[in-house]
Amino acid sequence: MNKYPSNNKPILEIKNLKKSFGNNHVLKGFNLKLFEGENLVVMGKSGSGKSVMIKCLVGLMEADSGVIRIKENDITVLGQAELDLLRTEIGFLFQGSALYDSMTVRENLEFPLRRHKKKLKMEEDTDTLVVEALDNVGLKEAIDLMPVELSGGMKRRVALARALILKPTIILYDEPTTGLDPITAKEIIQLMRGIQEKYGTSSLIITHDVDCARVISNRIILLVDGINYAEGSYEELIRSEDVNVKAFFKQ
Amino acid sequence: MSKAANQKLKLGIFVMLSTLLLVSALYFIGNRQNLFGKNIKLHALFYNVNGLQLGNNVRFSGIDVGTVSKIAMNNDTVIRVEMSIRESIQTHIKKNAVATIGSDGLVGNMIINILPREGITMPVVSGDTIETYSRIGTDDLLTTLNVTNENAALLTADLLKITTEIVEGKGTLGMLITDSLLADDLRQTIVQLKRSSVAANQTLAELNAYFKEVRQSESVANLLLTDSVSGEKMKRIVSNLEFSSDEMVEITAGMSQVIDDIKESDGALNYLTNDKDLVRNIDSTMINIKESTRRFNENMEALKQNFLFRGYFRKLERQQKRDEKKQTREDRN
Amino acid sequence: MATSLNLISRTITFFEEIGDITLFAIRYFRAILMPPFEFKELLRQCYILGYRSILLVGVTGFILGLVFTLQSRPTLMEFGAESWMPSMVSISIVREIGPVITALICAGKIGSGIGAELGSMRVTEQIDAMEVSGTNPFKYLVVTRITAATLMLPLLIVFGDAIALFGSALVENLKGGVSFTLYFNKVFEALSFSDVIPATIKSFFFGFAIGLVGCYKGYYCKKGTAGVGEASNMAVVYTSMLLFVIDFIAVFVTDIFFEV
Repeated sequence: MNKYPSNNKPILEIKNLKKSFGNNHVLKGFNLKLFEGENLVVMGKSGSGKSVMIKCLVGLMEADSGVIRIKENDITVLGQAELDLLRTEIGFLFQGSALYDSMTVRENLEFPLRRHKKKLKMEEDTDTLVVEALDNVGLKEAIDLMPVELSGGMKRRVALARALILKPTIILYDEPTTGLDPITAKEIIQLMRGIQEKYGTSSLIITHDVDCARVISNRIILLVDGINYAEGSYEELIRSEDVNVKAFFKQ
Repeated sequence: MSKAANQKLKLGIFVMLSTLLLVSALYFIGNRQNLFGKNIKLHALFYNVNGLQLGNNVRFSGIDVGTVSKIAMNNDTVIRVEMSIRESIQTHIKKNAVATIGSDGLVGNMIINILPREGITMPVVSGDTIETYSRIGTDDLLTTLNVTNENAALLTADLLKITTEIVEGKGTLGMLITDSLLADDLRQTIVQLKRSSVAANQTLAELNAYFKEVRQSESVANLLLTDSVSGEKMKRIVSNLEFSSDEMVEITAGMSQVIDDIKESDGALNYLTNDKDLVRNIDSTMINIKESTRRFNENMEALKQNFLFRGYFRKLERQQKRDEKKQTREDRN
Repeated sequence: MATSLNLISRTITFFEEIGDITLFAIRYFRAILMPPFEFKELLRQCYILGYRSILLVGVTGFILGLVFTLQSRPTLMEFGAESWMPSMVSISIVREIGPVITALICAGKIGSGIGAELGSMRVTEQIDAMEVSGTNPFKYLVVTRITAATLMLPLLIVFGDAIALFGSALVENLKGGVSFTLYFNKVFEALSFSDVIPATIKSFFFGFAIGLVGCYKGYYCKKGTAGVGEASNMAVVYTSMLLFVIDFIAVFVTDIFFEV
């Protein structure tokens, strides 16, 4: 694993991203490049703007200024239809799984397909796709359960299956291990690695869980005060003499 | 999938049921308002509809048979009311039926009452105009009464003139008495007065009977004497009329007696002429007649003032003027 | 001083909220006219909002008719006007009490339900997840719910009115020995189109208001579980207020158009 995967252009790029809520300047010029096949971890304390950054990335929030480029498309200027199409390239694992409570696991997984299956010209049967996705996370037997009947870890897996169902090339993880016990967290991390190996996806992971970062990261960006404070591999950062960096990794 | 189908079924049943409820409610309401059933149209002309409104009920002998469907001014004074009547009731309403406006219940909704009248006539057909109350028979009665009254006044004036002459001793008393022409004149006048008094009495009796009838048949009472106050007043006026008329008859009888006395006692001419008492008697009798005629007139005037009859008297006046003109023209010829 | 400032800021917030809700309504009308249409979800919402409320509306309506008749009976009997019972009850229920009570019940059930559901979906990022999945959550969640509420409420109100009249007829039948046929004959004699039609039109607006406010409060729910509770609570409060405002306007308009 090379430190800076230098193979040509980044698949995802953020330049000088700024976002504020009233007088609260959350992001003050954040930069990021995600290369193909890479697992990039963005770390930072709660409220440091990680979630805001990732939401700007998929167009759930509008940035005040800055450029966000995904596969050569500037998402800030895209129309709704084009944005929707681009979003099929991105899987998004939400912090609290965000499974639709009123739907069964099957319906949850079918949901992204209902608009995109034709557009993406997916040949496979909807059922086949759903079963395959569930098989990937090892939860085939839960297909007709409701989300309330699932444990936290199972929910996270189903959510992961849902994020993967359109076979995206980029996966965004928003705090994939929060709220889970360490063992389940480890299982999820293993799953993430397995998926990355199987499909060759690029991942952007947001977390404040150092263990998670250590296991999965190729590269880590430390987000402090709305800017990239430090950048490097886990080993590099853990050896850093900087006070802030040290404080972060000590936990 | 079967779950979704089940939901659809339940939803479908619910939607159909509720829509059916609404539609049938609307249908039944419309049915009640005779919007969907077959109807005939009847018209009636009124001078005053007393706040009748569209949609007010129309009753035939007390049964709801339809609603008021149109109210429009025909001309300055006449209002045409169109009624929507259930077709099933058509055969029962005869052409001589009478429409009147009355009020109904505590709240005072106005209604139209259609009342059957005696006599055999054809049933109405759609578009017919039926009579309304204000045009029924009272006209004739009142005409007679008025004429009688005027006659009485006229005759009394004649009598008065004669008695005045007697009292003033115009010419000689002897001349008065011996002048059989004059005496005949006097007698004639008195006979006429008597006759007209009897006529007046008769008319009053008729009027009385009529009012009694009014009181008996409540439905008609409603329409004429809408409020009991004016009904009472009418009754009083009529009884007054009756009273003064009786008086007149009595007095006329007295007069007649006097005249007869004069004629029969041929030899007692001197006695008569000298008997101041008799003359005074005649005189006071005449004054009595005058008085009672005046009262009769007053009552008549009151009757005229009563709003129910006002229109009628006005019409009468116009008629009279016309007659007078005709008369003078004929006289000239 | 502090209180007056507070009052001013509250007033401003109030008007801002009204403006927001209006914009939300405009957005609804725009969204409903443009494809894609979420028919399946609309049907599902009609089932949830409409069918699932039948029992509640039915029971309340029945009790309403029952109680209303029982309470009015002594007074009417005093005036010897028992025969007016059907007309009085039917006109009050059809014109006013039925729609308003049913709408308030539905504001409590449907409005708070929508507020809580959308609120929790917002808080747990389900709405974001939908957006990312290429489904317009406004169309999928809001448009379907408002439309379903607008369509279902008139039906529920008709249903509730019918049950209430049935309850009233039952009392008259048991206590006054009036047959159902006679009772309903009297009812239809008393009712006119100007009683039923304005009430039905009004109930569409009631449904729209319930859906609109519930969705608005839920869709813009504040973060956290407290936010969800507030959203559902405020949905009921605002809806109830709005219902009375609509009712007032409706009566006003009805007066102009139906009383010649």
